[in-house]
Amino acid sequence: MPPSASNPDAPRNAFPDVAAAFDNVAVAFEGVAILDAVTASVPRGGCTAVVGPNGAGKTTLLMALLGQVPFQGNVRIAPLPDGRPPRIGYVPQRLQFDRGLPLTAGDFLVMGTQRSPLWWGTRAHHRDAARELLRAVKAEPLERRRLGALSGGELQRVLLALALQRNPDLLVLDEPAAGVDVQGGYLFCELLERLRRERGFTELMVSHDLGTVAHHATHVILLNRRAVAEGSPGAVLTPPNLMAVFGAHMGLLDAHGLAHSRLPCCQPKEGAP
Amino acid sequence: MDLAPLYDLLARLLPFEVLQARFMQQALLGLLLVAPMAAAMGVQVINFRMVFFADAIGHSAFAGVALGLIFAVSPSWTMPLFGLAVGLAIMLLQRRSSLSTDTVIGVVFAAVMAFGLAMVSRDRGVARDLQRFLYGDILTITEPELLGLGLLFLAVMAFQAWGYNRLLYVGLNPVVASVHRVPVATCQYLFAGLLALVVMFSVWAVGVLLVTALLIVPAAAARNFARSAGSMFWWSLLISTTSAVAGLLVSAQDWARTATGPTVVLCGFVWFLASQVVATLRRRGAR
Repeated sequence: MPPSASNPDAPRNAFPDVAAAFDNVAVAFEGVAILDAVTASVPRGGCTAVVGPNGAGKTTLLMALLGQVPFQGNVRIAPLPDGRPPRIGYVPQRLQFDRGLPLTAGDFLVMGTQRSPLWWGTRAHHRDAARELLRAVKAEPLERRRLGALSGGELQRVLLALALQRNPDLLVLDEPAAGVDVQGGYLFCELLERLRRERGFTELMVSHDLGTVAHHATHVILLNRRAVAEGSPGAVLTPPNLMAVFGAHMGLLDAHGLAHSRLPCCQPKEGAP
Repeated sequence: MDLAPLYDLLARLLPFEVLQARFMQQALLGLLLVAPMAAAMGVQVINFRMVFFADAIGHSAFAGVALGLIFAVSPSWTMPLFGLAVGLAIMLLQRRSSLSTDTVIGVVFAAVMAFGLAMVSRDRGVARDLQRFLYGDILTITEPELLGLGLLFLAVMAFQAWGYNRLLYVGLNPVVASVHRVPVATCQYLFAGLLALVVMFSVWAVGVLLVTALLIVPAAAARNFARSAGSMFWWSLLISTTSAVAGLLVSAQDWARTATGPTVVLCGFVWFLASQVVATLRRRGAR
């Protein structure tokens, strides 16, 4: 039996408007299909999570959205209400860099805003802006630390700061909880939740951690090369859907319980910008 | 253009006996242009892990010389132009092909090397150029070549001013850079093209066997000394320039009488050893 598509009886999400939409998106590498006719949407102002097993094409879906892989079909990034194209911020899963590179977290952020080269010195107002951003992601003490000396969670927050630097309307994150312990992942998600409320961006993240998704997301796309289901966490993360996508062992996880254990701070906001 | 006042100035600033000969002054000027360029580009060669790329370009120099012989054009033209073409071709293949970077470079490397060697085997007259290609020949640099170097120097430094932050961005994660509106392709092609030209001129100075050393030894030592991304650039320039001057002076001493290129690289290596000591001490201090 094919996995059930999004349940029409489930409460539709409360977001009237989409920030981005995938329409029949297909990606193949050398004849092997990675994504096949994916149709899904990302509601504006919410937190959309893409979940699915390894090899489901989650990261590829993000890359299609970001224009980094060739694809068939349509990806639409909707203009903002005032008609301008949205700015996008991207937080990668990891950085591949030489850990001995003498680049401090502060300089790393100045690199993104300052036009004159770093070897010509860093201007005070760029440094102040960098410090402000680090404070916003609770990483202020890291300003003078080398990037290579940061832990996974610290680096994640600095990368988040770099993405926030552009004042994004759409923030895209690849596995924000990977390489971070459970507690760290939870704190990171709480931080994201708060920033999203303050700054009013739309969030789109890939995650393999169903617990995080259930707590944090307002909209879920269940992906396994196709979009298997889409909707609110409660409607999508049902035992039959999870069984169909992840296999039998998921029966051990009380996914239903997870889906209903959203914390108060993570409720979809109402009336907020 | 008359460069004589410049030579006189150099001779006065560095009043060594060996620097009174005009060809030594020309060599010094050549090294003072090549070394900082190589060092500045070397910072990004390390960040992008492009050592093998630079090596392949260097080895294409010989095929460039051979092309000049075939078409009866001066190798001073065919060598840099061929290097430029090879550099851009590798970058194009790397961006378009699904093969891994080192495979692409390895294939191109083999092709240009085979072509160069095939030409040598046909024409024994190229043997002298083979020597020059292997060990470098900064002492015979001519004035038009120096002017060409000067122009390239200006281009590289302008590029470093425009692109240093952007290249750092791209080197850390090209996808993030591209999403955040850094012109990634422009950065990569400009970098590959300029690096190819710098490598070709460096082959002149130190020979193909040591060209990567000229690029990465100062940058590697600078990485150990520097405490910020900005100062890494200046350390690299300082190390390469002092190594170049010291290498030229030492190589001309009666007790040394060594080839200039290898001597320059050895001086750079002394800097590198010192930087390792500093890095180790710092790590101990941090503990």
